Amino acid sequence: MSPAPLVEVDRLWRVFDVSGPWLNRVLERRPRLFLTAVADVSFAIGRRETFALVGESGSGKSTIAKIIVGLLPPSEGDVRIDGISMSSPEARKKRADLRRRIQMIFQDPYASLNPRWRVDRIIAEPLRAFGLMRDRKDIEGRVAELLELVGLDPSDGHKYPHEFSGGQRQRIAIARALAANPEFIVCDEPTSALDVSVQAQILNLMRDLQDQLGLTYLFISHNLAVVRHMATRIGVLYLGRLVEVAPSRELFSNPRHPYTRMLLDAVPDLEMTGRVRRPVEGEIPNPINPPKGCGFHPRCPYQNERCRRETPILSDENGRLVACHGVAEARI
Amino acid sequence: MRIPVLSVRNLYVAFATRRADLVALEDVSFDIAEGEILGVVGESGAGKSVTGAAVIGLIEPPGRITGGEIRLKGERIDNLPLSAMRKIRGKRIGMVFQDPLTSLNPLFRIGDQIVETMMVHLDLSAAEARRRAIELLGEVGIPAPEQRIDAFPHELSGGMRQRVVLAMVLCTNPELIIADEPTTALDVSVQAQIIALLKRLAKSHGTSVMLITHDMGVIAETADRVAVMYAGRIVEIGPVREVLKNPRHPYTQGLMGSIPTLTSDAERLVQIPGSMPRLNARPPGCAFNPRCALAIDRCLCERPPLVGDDRAKVACWLVEAEEGAEQRGEVLS
Repeated sequence: MSPAPLVEVDRLWRVFDVSGPWLNRVLERRPRLFLTAVADVSFAIGRRETFALVGESGSGKSTIAKIIVGLLPPSEGDVRIDGISMSSPEARKKRADLRRRIQMIFQDPYASLNPRWRVDRIIAEPLRAFGLMRDRKDIEGRVAELLELVGLDPSDGHKYPHEFSGGQRQRIAIARALAANPEFIVCDEPTSALDVSVQAQILNLMRDLQDQLGLTYLFISHNLAVVRHMATRIGVLYLGRLVEVAPSRELFSNPRHPYTRMLLDAVPDLEMTGRVRRPVEGEIPNPINPPKGCGFHPRCPYQNERCRRETPILSDENGRLVACHGVAEARI
Repeated sequence: MRIPVLSVRNLYVAFATRRADLVALEDVSFDIAEGEILGVVGESGAGKSVTGAAVIGLIEPPGRITGGEIRLKGERIDNLPLSAMRKIRGKRIGMVFQDPLTSLNPLFRIGDQIVETMMVHLDLSAAEARRRAIELLGEVGIPAPEQRIDAFPHELSGGMRQRVVLAMVLCTNPELIIADEPTTALDVSVQAQIIALLKRLAKSHGTSVMLITHDMGVIAETADRVAVMYAGRIVEIGPVREVLKNPRHPYTQGLMGSIPTLTSDAERLVQIPGSMPRLNARPPGCAFNPRCALAIDRCLCERPPLVGDDRAKVACWLVEAEEGAEQRGEVLS
C-alpha cells in the first residue's frame, strides 16, 4: 500500500455571505445572498508531490489555499495534514506544531514583504515566531544560509525590500517560507506577477528546492503551461467544484471533461502548429447565482437534460476522475 | 511602394528627473503596413507601452519625445499642436487599454459613450449614430445589442466590457488601433475570444494594429510581424513565424526558451540570469550584455545598431559578425 498522503482535503465547502447591510435588506426587501466559493472539493496530496489547482478567476483556487493553511475556516468538511485536522478543536495543540510545517508563498511579492523591515528580519521572522532559534549568531547564520539557498547574496540581508526587483523579492518570500524547515508549501500564483524570463528562474528554483529538501507543493495558477511544467497531478476547478483530477501528462494529452478541453483549446499556441480551435463560448457565470445542475452546462456543447438538472459528482470513469454526466454515460 | 500606415523613425523618449534625463526609448524605428498586425513584445519596463503612448501622443510630462519622428500615412504627427492631435486621436488612431473598466466612464451608458465618440469625430445625426452603435455592438459579439446599448459598464463582465471598448474604437473607422495588453486582465477562455475578435475586425475593416503584450502566445496567434523590445530598444523585428521559431538575438532566444509550453517536455526552463536593467542603470554597450552568455568585448562598449533587410532586423554584434563572415564566404566561393 502506498504511504498515507500528506494532505487530505475532505468534502470541503466554503460559503460567503455577500448580503447587503441589514437595514438595506429590510428596506429594499432584498434576500440574503450567498456565494459558494468552494463546493464539495476533495483531493489528496502525496508526499513530495506537486499538486496543482487550475481554474479561471472566481473558480475558488485561492479560497481553497487559504482554508488549507488555516487562514479561513471551512463552512463544512475538513482538511487533514499528516492526519491532523485543521479545524477540529481537539487537535488545537497538535496544530500549533503543524503550522511550522506549512508555509505559503503569495502572488504579489510587493505586498507580501513588509517594506519597513530589513530582509534579514523578514526571513528570520518564522524562526523567532516559532521559537526555533534564540541566539542572534545562529539566526544570522541561518538567514545567510537561506539567502544563498535561493540564489541571493548573504549581504543582501541588510537591504530593504524596495531595493530588489520583483523576481528577487519572490526569492526573499521563498527564503522566508523555507526558514522554518517546512514540509508543505502552498504557492498561490507564485509567478503571475513576474516577467517570463524571471518566471523561469523562480520555477527552476522551486523545482530544485523541492528535490533538495523533499518539499510537497500545492501549486495554484491560472496559467496552464506553467502548471504543466510544475505539477505531477492537476485538479481543474470550475465554479468552486473540481471537474477533473488527473496526472499532469494525461490531463494534457487526453483531457476528459468538456471544460478542460475548452481551456486547453483556448491557450494561445506558441508552437504555431496551426491546430484548429473550436471557438470558445461564453464566460464563467456569476457564482452568486450559478446555473442549476452542472455549472458548466450553459457553455457545454454536449449538455443534455440531465446536465441541466443534476449536479455531476467527481467519480472514477475508466481510471480518470471526472465530474461529467456525458463522460459517465460515455456520450463524450 | 505603398506608404506604411505608421512609420516611426529614430524615436527617442526621455523622462526628466531631478538628477538626469531617463531615456525610456532609444532609437526606435519600425513601420506598420496597411492591414498589418505588428506585435510588440517585451518584459515590463522594456518600453512597449511608452512606444504606444508616443504614437498616440499621450506621453505625459515629465516625459517627452526628444528625437525622431512619427508619421501616419506619411504625415508627421509627433509635433502637432494639441488641438490637431485631438482630431487624430480617437478618429484615425484608436486605443485599447488593458483594463476596460478604466477606459469606460462608469457614469454613462455604454451606448451614449459610443454615440458621443461618433458625434465628436463624424458628421452623423444622433439617431444615425445610435443605429450604428447597435450595429457595432452586434459586430463585436454582444448579445441583444438593442437592449445592451443602454447598459452601464458595471453591468457587463470583463470580456463584454473589452468588446464594448473595441466597438468604441472601431466606430470612427480608424486607420490604426493601438492595443496595449488588451487581454491581460481577462481569463484564458475570454482572452481567446477577444484575440479572435480583434483579428477578425482588423481584417474586415482593413485596420492596422499595434498589439502590445508580454504574452508570446498571444503574439504567435495574432500578429503578422513582431518587434521584440529590451531596455528601450527594438532588439529584433521580423515576421512572427521566423522570430518565434528561429530567434536570432540571444535575448529573444532566451525568452522563447524560458516560456513553459503545452507541448515541450523540458525538465528545466532556459534561464536568463538577472533581470532587465533599470532606466538609470543601463550598462554601456549592448544593454543585454550583463545577461548574455555570448557577449564579446565589442558588446561591452558599443551599442549594436538594428540592421538587416526590410523584412527582418536584429541588433546584435554576434549576428552581424556571423552574417558578415557569410557574405565574405560567398564572395570567396
